[in-house]
Amino acid sequence: MLISYNWLKEHCDLPAGLTPAELGDKFKLAVVEVEKIVSEGENLENIVVGKVVSAEKHPNADKLKVCKVDAGGELVQVVCGGSNVAEGMLVAFAPIGAKVRWHGEGDLVELTEATIRGEKSYGMICASTEIGLGEKFPLKDEKEILDLTFLKLKVGTHLKTALKLNDAVLEIDNKSLSHRPDLWGHLGLAREAAALFSRQLKELKLGKIKPGKSVSLSVKVEDTKLCPRYLAVALAGIKVAPSPDWLQSRLLTVGINPINNIVDITNYVMLDLGQPMHAFDASRIAVIPTKVGISVRLAKSGETIVALDKKEYKLTENDLVIATAERPIAIAGVMGALNSGVTDATETIIFESANFNPVSVRKTSTRLNLRSDSAQRFEKSLDPNLCEIALQKAVAMTLEICPGASVASKVIDEKHFSLFTGPLLMPKNIFEKKLGVVIPPKRIKEILEKLGFVVTEKKDELSVKIPTWRATKDIAIAEDIVEEVGRIYGFSNIPGTLPTFPITPASLTPVQKLQRTVKDVLVRELGYSEMYNYSFVSAEQIVRSGDNVANYLELDNPISKEKPFLRRNLLLNLMENLERNINSAEVIKLFEIGKIFQPEEAGPRADSNGDELLPRQDTWLGAVNVEKKNDTPFWEARRVAEIITRELGVTVKFVPGETLSMAPYQHPGRTAWIYAGDSLVGRVWELHPKVAANFNFPYRVGVCGFNLNILADKQREARIFKPLSLYPEVKRDVAFVVYTKIVHVEVEKALAGIDPLVKGVELFDVYTGKNLGAGKKSMAYRLTLLNSERTLESKEVDVVMDKATKMLVENFGAEMRG
Amino acid sequence: MLADLKKLKDEALTAINAAADVLNLEELENRFLGRKSGEITNLMKGLKELAVDAKREAGAVANEVKTAVAEALATKRNELAGVSQSEALSAEKLDITQSYLPPVEQGHYHPSTLVQTDLEDLFLSMGFVVLDGPELESDYYNFTAVNVPPEHPARDMQDTFYIKNHSGWVMRTHTSPVQVRAMQKYGAPLRGIVPGKCFRNEATDARHEHTLYQLEGIVVDKNINFSHLKGVLEAMARHLYGANTQVRLRPKFYPFVEPGVNGEVTCFLCAGQGCRVCKKSGWLEILGAGMIHPNVLREGGIDPKIYSGFAFGCGLDRLTMLKYGIDEIRVLKAGDLRFVNQF
Repeated sequence: MLISYNWLKEHCDLPAGLTPAELGDKFKLAVVEVEKIVSEGENLENIVVGKVVSAEKHPNADKLKVCKVDAGGELVQVVCGGSNVAEGMLVAFAPIGAKVRWHGEGDLVELTEATIRGEKSYGMICASTEIGLGEKFPLKDEKEILDLTFLKLKVGTHLKTALKLNDAVLEIDNKSLSHRPDLWGHLGLAREAAALFSRQLKELKLGKIKPGKSVSLSVKVEDTKLCPRYLAVALAGIKVAPSPDWLQSRLLTVGINPINNIVDITNYVMLDLGQPMHAFDASRIAVIPTKVGISVRLAKSGETIVALDKKEYKLTENDLVIATAERPIAIAGVMGALNSGVTDATETIIFESANFNPVSVRKTSTRLNLRSDSAQRFEKSLDPNLCEIALQKAVAMTLEICPGASVASKVIDEKHFSLFTGPLLMPKNIFEKKLGVVIPPKRIKEILEKLGFVVTEKKDELSVKIPTWRATKDIAIAEDIVEEVGRIYGFSNIPGTLPTFPITPASLTPVQKLQRTVKDVLVRELGYSEMYNYSFVSAEQIVRSGDNVANYLELDNPISKEKPFLRRNLLLNLMENLERNINSAEVIKLFEIGKIFQPEEAGPRADSNGDELLPRQDTWLGAVNVEKKNDTPFWEARRVAEIITRELGVTVKFVPGETLSMAPYQHPGRTAWIYAGDSLVGRVWELHPKVAANFNFPYRVGVCGFNLNILADKQREARIFKPLSLYPEVKRDVAFVVYTKIVHVEVEKALAGIDPLVKGVELFDVYTGKNLGAGKKSMAYRLTLLNSERTLESKEVDVVMDKATKMLVENFGAEMRG
Repeated sequence: MLADLKKLKDEALTAINAAADVLNLEELENRFLGRKSGEITNLMKGLKELAVDAKREAGAVANEVKTAVAEALATKRNELAGVSQSEALSAEKLDITQSYLPPVEQGHYHPSTLVQTDLEDLFLSMGFVVLDGPELESDYYNFTAVNVPPEHPARDMQDTFYIKNHSGWVMRTHTSPVQVRAMQKYGAPLRGIVPGKCFRNEATDARHEHTLYQLEGIVVDKNINFSHLKGVLEAMARHLYGANTQVRLRPKFYPFVEPGVNGEVTCFLCAGQGCRVCKKSGWLEILGAGMIHPNVLREGGIDPKIYSGFAFGCGLDRLTMLKYGIDEIRVLKAGDLRFVNQF
């Protein structure tokens, strides 16, 4: 929204010497976001009003014209590329020496004499954007020059003078106004300025409209919830004509094109007070123009309307319309119909000044994709009392601007609303208590009164009555009042202090602590790099992994149709990461920690008191590795699992895959489930070769996954010191060949059990090779033997080793080596 | 005798001086000082044949000679040893500009992790617990509980991801639902932060993402006021951007706070003078904050007549981008090692 500095001054005498920039800064800190401030006429010193006396085609260029321009002196030749340049047009002319911004971009450039395709050019006919008037005169076409003909300016005058450019325009970010229905016009911001600078807001000087009799006007509001108030009045004797200069100029300053006096008046009132208005042509909405009947009703399903933008809109029974007995004449609060509005021939008008339900207007305007200035305001919850003032203002302006006009009907006022305006009783110390700063009571009272609150002092309390324009949704409780005082007093005037607390120790949750440990181990010790992926996956990814989309939760309104599913493992996106980085190195090791979504299992509560539960969403680690020359990445994945659990001090066991049902992407022979005690905490596996092929991935992938929520519950096992032995340990190695089906844990267990002297069993080598024969492997263990009573004799050791050999041969069919 | 001694001394010193290596020196030591037949040893053996006086005089001289030769031998030996050692050391010289080989495999944290950990540690040091909550939230916790009523525009389809066939479920649009979950679980007093992943249904471009990370903070206790909010935000800003950093709070509407503000800090690059990073304003908007709305406290089971609180939230992605000068938000989740390997 554009706000004119001069316009604000009509509502409030701003302090002498205040600059628009200073006002903008104050607004930024206390009221709204001011995106920029443009002083009109900046850098326009040498630009004058020119008249195009002739415009001939350029002999050497199709899109250029050679013009003769009257700029108040001798005719000047100018080569011009403007698509709309024509003989007789009034233009903004920049002579040599003037400064312009080429195509509205970059720095200002001083014009010099030029030869363009062989023709001399002494200056430039400007586009609005080239001389900083783009806001005031928006470009309709990229190549268009500024056509000032409609303003009837005197040739040769300085443009700044001719256009009366002595204002400054503040561009307010509309988003920062979304909760402030009162700030959608100049009056509202003037009121804020009055509070900020302790000035007086000027009285509006409006009064009751004197009714007329020549038109019989009736209004029936069928849905008073969607239309809490509807005012209307007829004015006859209208002569539609261009608005007076001051009005046109005012509208142009804030970026609105003048249309005609009646439309300009409705726009002016909206920009001044914030109340959208509409004017109907009585003769176009009633068979007999002196007998006008209007209803406010819900549209019929399938009903259509051609709006002022000349587009046809199809309505539903949720859309509110203004209608005559025959047809809808406006989409309530959004836009009028094309065939009901004011034309040059209009003689009698009906002014509408109404209040519509914000949600209904928003829904209709969103659904129709029709974002009008009117809808934008109604959807903020306007004050129903504003309609009345706005209508008074519009009527007063019409009577002033159209000398023959008169009020021709009674004033219809259908109202069905109530607003909570308090008063709120506020302890006097609440401001200090909530803001942490002492503000003089006089200043508090002044701030509130300038903003329109009615403040009555009681013993320990203030009674604060809320002005209606703040009562629709913005202000309802004491905290809202505190905010008003705080922001106008200035948040910058409130010093920061640190609160004091008991020294209760604070910590991460166990899962967060675990995440940190896991990340540290993976990054610092194991050389893994961390990925942050989206939580969404595609049907294609799911199908490639051998899984079924039915197992996945799906977004109702995904941003890209491609990835609508909620991940239920980290693998799918890590596969994408691997693909993306596959050419970057021989060895790629990546991990991600994040939540996954398992709809079949119950998770956190969905409500504070219901039984409904959200789906389970545990935090998982996924670590993948690819080594191009290694076809058993399983071992690297297992290393990750071993080192992480060792770091955590949690003893785990690895159980072969076939003991549980496996996901389709797991290699059936290369999957291990990881158990801590009885609970399954994770898994180590290789990607199923078939799935790798589905992904067109040419290498084997090793994966280590942990459910961190479960793993975090596992306590670090206590370490208890064992006294150091007085006698030396003996280490002996034993190596043998067995069938590959023989598994390590069983060999280990058997070796550990052969004799009490065996204190440790460590596997230190496994080897398979052609020389061993198919289906065989060589294993080597190191046994640690110790007698805690005395030094072992070599004979004793030999006895144990013989037992070991015998056992290995008998139980495992081992062929001893070396 | 004396003349012989003198001559022998000169001869020995000259020879020692000229010795080329340790072997040579050993020969000379043997020749002059050898216990059995060294030339000086032999001469000294002849001393006992002399008269007492002459013996005393010649004995003293002989000792001098012997000492001088021994010293010369030792000096020369050290000299020769020094030469050979330095030759040996110079042969062992390394190219210390070369790095350890094979290269140490190195992993990398995602930069957002570094920024998050840093802030977690700051707030832990101030006694804030670190909280966590679900990413798939109920409509109730994501909206209603934080004072976003059913018809609020923030609930519109274009902002929120909804879940098919579960009309009451959404992908959380902010970390604020954890405020209410934490209040319900722990009650007051409470102080905590919530780092986490959030989702907005908006198209991505260089500055917008549908998946973003926030860090939210919450304090609930008796007598908590706006000044405290500002103090904590100043502590955070100064931790991030240095002791001279200023915080500026400007009114901004959020349904879950009252008053609501957005928080800006003086630009760390230009110290408020205006530059490319702060778009010439001198200020960087990095957070939203406010005093917790009484409705939110009530929803969390906390009596707003007894307790008050503040909350603040900032975009971790934005902090990460500012810290490392990243100008394209999508690179954070592109899964590209060329990016992650820089951290």
